[in-house]
Amino acid sequence: MTEAGVLLFIQCVLAILVIYWISIAITMVYRKNRMRALERIEHTFADIVSRYLYNNEDDPLLISEINDRLKAVGIRKGNRNNVQYLIRLMIRTQRTILGENYYKLKKLYAQIPPYNASFTKISKWGWYSRARGIREIYEMNQSQYMNEVFKFQNNKNVFVRREAQIAMVVFMGWESLRFLPYLKRNITLWQQIKIVEKLYDLYPKPEMKWLKRAYKTDKLFGKKLLMRIIRKFELHTEIPFIMEHLEHPDYEVRETAIYCIQTFALSTERMDYIKDVYERVANPVQQAQLLNYIYENSDIDVDFYLRQLHGDNDELKLNVAEILWNNGHKEKVQEFYYQQYPENSNLNVE
Amino acid sequence: MLNNIEKFFSGEYVFLATNYFFFFYGIALMTMYFAGVILASRAISRNKKKSRFLQVNDIVSATDIPSVSLIAPAYNEGLTIIENVKSLLSIQYPYYELILVNDGSKDDSLEKLIKEFKLERRDATFITQPIPTATVKYVYKSTLSKYTHLTVLDKNNGGRADALNAGINFATSELVVCTDADCIIEQDALLKMVRPYLEEYHSEIIACGGGIGIANDSVVKNGVMKELRLPNNLVPMVQVVEYIRAFLLGRMAWSEINGLMLVSGAFGMYPRKRVIEVSGFDAKTVGEDLELCIRLRRLMEEKELPYKVVYLPETLCWTEGPPDYDILIKQRDRWARGLWETLKIHRKLFFNPKYRYMGFLYYPYWLFFEFGAPIVEFLGIICIIAFAFFGMINWTMAVLLFTAAYIVGCIFSTAAIFMYVKNFNHYNKPKQVIELLLAAYLEPFLYHPILVYGQMKGYYKKIFRIKSGWGTMTRKGFKVSDT
Repeated sequence: MTEAGVLLFIQCVLAILVIYWISIAITMVYRKNRMRALERIEHTFADIVSRYLYNNEDDPLLISEINDRLKAVGIRKGNRNNVQYLIRLMIRTQRTILGENYYKLKKLYAQIPPYNASFTKISKWGWYSRARGIREIYEMNQSQYMNEVFKFQNNKNVFVRREAQIAMVVFMGWESLRFLPYLKRNITLWQQIKIVEKLYDLYPKPEMKWLKRAYKTDKLFGKKLLMRIIRKFELHTEIPFIMEHLEHPDYEVRETAIYCIQTFALSTERMDYIKDVYERVANPVQQAQLLNYIYENSDIDVDFYLRQLHGDNDELKLNVAEILWNNGHKEKVQEFYYQQYPENSNLNVE
Repeated sequence: MLNNIEKFFSGEYVFLATNYFFFFYGIALMTMYFAGVILASRAISRNKKKSRFLQVNDIVSATDIPSVSLIAPAYNEGLTIIENVKSLLSIQYPYYELILVNDGSKDDSLEKLIKEFKLERRDATFITQPIPTATVKYVYKSTLSKYTHLTVLDKNNGGRADALNAGINFATSELVVCTDADCIIEQDALLKMVRPYLEEYHSEIIACGGGIGIANDSVVKNGVMKELRLPNNLVPMVQVVEYIRAFLLGRMAWSEINGLMLVSGAFGMYPRKRVIEVSGFDAKTVGEDLELCIRLRRLMEEKELPYKVVYLPETLCWTEGPPDYDILIKQRDRWARGLWETLKIHRKLFFNPKYRYMGFLYYPYWLFFEFGAPIVEFLGIICIIAFAFFGMINWTMAVLLFTAAYIVGCIFSTAAIFMYVKNFNHYNKPKQVIELLLAAYLEPFLYHPILVYGQMKGYYKKIFRIKSGWGTMTRKGFKVSDT
């Protein structure tokens, strides 16, 4: 290595450093200008929406005027970032408006610029564009693209298929559950939550026909989803479906079942069944969850708790002891713990 | 003797070997940093895209999301305890409980808490303790309806790790977040932290960390960061750059290849059942956060279960960095000892095929570059002095090489600042950015040597078995705004 070589290297790295400085400066200037531009779009859009929804008959707001104003603030076909921002504003606005104004707004959306922008996205190659396009389609309720979106329900990208599956729920409601057995890939916890939430928001009246059909699914994620639906809609008649999964061989299915059953208060017979399950479940963490549920939702069954006091797991025994101790059976707990000491030992207790 | 030393240093092979060792060590380190920049950029961009599909507002309104307990140990923090607890209580999360562990404070922390939050003592006879800890004396719950999610555990002193373990024992949630009572946590931090747990389905998330920022001299109001300012002094100012670089480049890059071995103790989220399975934090080491993360990884490797340790690029937790050199040295001395102890505990990992990448790449990286760097730097200084003494240094070349290494170092810091400015809006004024850049460029002269000194001091204590604990970390406290 020569001095000239090192000097050249220094020049190169200095050039890189200068490039970084320039990049920082450009980023800061761009951000400042961008914020201003976004603010302008937001104000213009807010003004358009309010004037359109509460149109003054003497000075009506015409669609041509709306389009001109949007164009003036940079909403043009070539400027994708601005169009994207407008779409975000449109979705955000639509979410907050209900009733007659909601339909007025939909009518407005059908006539202003970014029409087709979301649909164009789903035909793109990248997962990000596709997933975003699908999301926009269902958020803006563009049901005309339903069939195109459904194609992606088993897409290899988790975000694309998640959005497509949520779109199915948004457009088809309870009927979408019939596709559950045909889903090939696992679905995430968030996907389950989102599906349940959408169903609850958009289709609050349960359609048992579709739910019962979906029970046939052998997919573990499907079972978990169905239990979450039963929980969210508080479907007391469907509690047996959750109960039969309390002893499922899969840890996570059991976990979901335990989580979901906690929403319901059960009859004495069913609680007796839960007590039996408690003794059979092999996992102490889940046993502790069940114990807590049994304690909070049934009268004190001294025989049951005393039986558990003689179990194998020390943590559970401590939990049981706490329950008995705090519920008027102090002496039974003392008796249990004293008997563990040799008969002739001198205990320092009152 | 001088002759012998001269002979040793002037030996051709020794000279060459030393030169090559430092050269290749430097090249290896630089290559890794460069790879880090690329990986981190990819990870940040991916994270940004992903977050569009799982927005904080969606999580707030959702049911069925995992419950979270935030565990904050406190020791003699009476001066700020009320403000800090109020700050922690105001965090947004639908299913959230705060467990404050009073770790045998000798001041009036507990009395203040009892008075402010109308705490009521509960029976602590049967506290299930899957992880053994120092005795928990009492459990306190607030009688005020707005603070029902607050629990205070009063226990005998056992250190930070022990206090965290007591909190984990008591928690009933699926996830636990371990932090410090004096940290300012962003209001939506938990909502963001829980994202990976909601989204992942191939692997289990065993730990999740978020960016930690230095907020000395910033203004806090009602426990919330009101105005983020750059510190007035150089020492914390350089730490701002150091943290940005470490979290944004280092941790994000390792997270991208699932090679993260450390989730900071100041702010880390874990599944409670896994933490209990590995018996919680190790109270015997001062590097308990690193040690726990490695133990969790080992557990998953041994069970052959797919897992991930993830990091979020956003700064979710603000803390006060050491304000001067003395406290900085104490902190780095402790970190160095923690690293030493942890690497020693887990030495079995070293090139152990059973632990796959962890044995062949991640552990050796920590050993050679995180643990080894201060030693190499220290040896470098000794060699320079020795070779200079014997007139063996080509000064022109040395200055050129030093300049090259310095500029390369500056590039990595500048890259980190660029990525931060581009992706986050915390430091958005030109003056702030220029100050950060200047601090980054002064770091190698005014900060780094002190850092190496602190680390070497820690190693020295370990070599000569000098007993030392956490040491006192005096903090100035954030500026509190009344208006």
